[in-house]
Amino acid sequence: MTSESAKRDGDVKGTIKKFLLRSINLPDVEDDEDLFESGMVNSLFAVQLTTFIEKTFGIEIGADDLDIKNFRSLNAATHFVKSKSAATAS
Amino acid sequence: MRYSLTEQQQARRAEFREFVASHVEPRAADWERDQVVSRQVVQLMGERGYLGSNLPCEYGGQGWDVVTFGLLNEAFGRASSSLTSYLTVQSMVAMALLKWGTREQKSAWLPRLATGEIIASFAMTEPDTGSDLNAFKTEFKRRAGGDTLILNGNKRWITCAQVSEIFLIFGKMDNQSVACLVPRETPGFTVEPIRELMGFRAAGLAKLSFVNVELPPSNIVGKPGFGVSHVMPVGMQYGRISTACSALGIMRGCFEESVAYAARRKIGDRSLGEIGLMRRLIARMGTDVEAGNFLCYNACRAEDERAPESFETALAAKYFTSQASVRAASDAVQLRGAAGCHESSPTARYYGSAKIMEIIEGTTQVHEDLLGRMYMGQAGVLGQ
Repeated sequence: MTSESAKRDGDVKGTIKKFLLRSINLPDVEDDEDLFESGMVNSLFAVQLTTFIEKTFGIEIGADDLDIKNFRSLNAATHFVKSKSAATAS
Repeated sequence: MRYSLTEQQQARRAEFREFVASHVEPRAADWERDQVVSRQVVQLMGERGYLGSNLPCEYGGQGWDVVTFGLLNEAFGRASSSLTSYLTVQSMVAMALLKWGTREQKSAWLPRLATGEIIASFAMTEPDTGSDLNAFKTEFKRRAGGDTLILNGNKRWITCAQVSEIFLIFGKMDNQSVACLVPRETPGFTVEPIRELMGFRAAGLAKLSFVNVELPPSNIVGKPGFGVSHVMPVGMQYGRISTACSALGIMRGCFEESVAYAARRKIGDRSLGEIGLMRRLIARMGTDVEAGNFLCYNACRAEDERAPESFETALAAKYFTSQASVRAASDAVQLRGAAGCHESSPTARYYGSAKIMEIIEGTTQVHEDLLGRMYMGQAGVLGQ
């Protein structure tokens, strides 16, 4: 999926969820489930998620965005992508 | 690597091989014996842009793609793992800074790294922690008022540290991981060379010691809490790609040296290459080179595309080629017999260096753990 189509579809959450389920051995993930506290992810997952978001949604994540609140759960990452995309567009 | 190379990539590969043939191969054995590489050659690498090959042009780099970076490392790895380590650690620090550094950090350091004016080191390993990245004893503390960091601790086995002028140090602060730039001349920071390694002898390894080293908080790269999770993996990604391709260079060297030797060496009226048991060694080496080619190209391509699988492919490439280079070097020495054991033979140098490839930038066992977790994570989507 390209960055434009991901945004156009308006399915940010679905796109991130699909990536999460490809990365962790679970049948499903709750919207607010803490990905890091649960221990379900490997040590490279955090930076893999960053790379995935940058590539898929066409946004640049920098040091200022390094806040665990932005990536802690499916809902948090979705909110971050939407906020960052809106800020980039404006 | 030779899969789907563009004309430009092929031209650069030819340039790299010519450089290595002229400036590296004739002197690599001397460097290993003397345990130091030539500063003039490192300077020449900087002038050619090799030490900043994948940094953007705006910082004085070449802006080359990762496939070209892989070709560069393979060409150098064919002749000298020690010299290739300069490409490895320089890219690890530069790419971590490029991704997570502040504007001030980038403008201060990247142009100097790009030209090779200075060499950098990436310092993770500690005397008592090995591969356990969450057990750092190296500690940063904020002095009352918060305007100064105080660093205490020790690092070991730090590549190129004998000559580096800037170090990216990983440690903890308030029980959070942190990455911080530490210039060599900072008071309280000392570097003690480590010598007499079995291979990789000219890679300039050293011990680092920090005693009440004072640093500005602006030297932190990224943010506290993100040193291990975000800053380190970006550097390690390039470290793994570099090491994978360097090990592929060793494999290619073993293969080519062995084929040439087996073709000319006579046992009675037959060449070595006509003996089935010898052909078995050649077959294994050649097949491993082909497999390593594919894995390295795939890892570089994935990183060029910033594909989600890029970390996995780099792990797989490094995991395979580092082990295969040990097999190839062992077989290459075996094929040559006693002559292969002497320091005048490139196979002896390959043998010493290949094992180091299995240790640096994550041991084989660390790779097995990570790759095993990643592959198990795909259990729910198998076949999709």
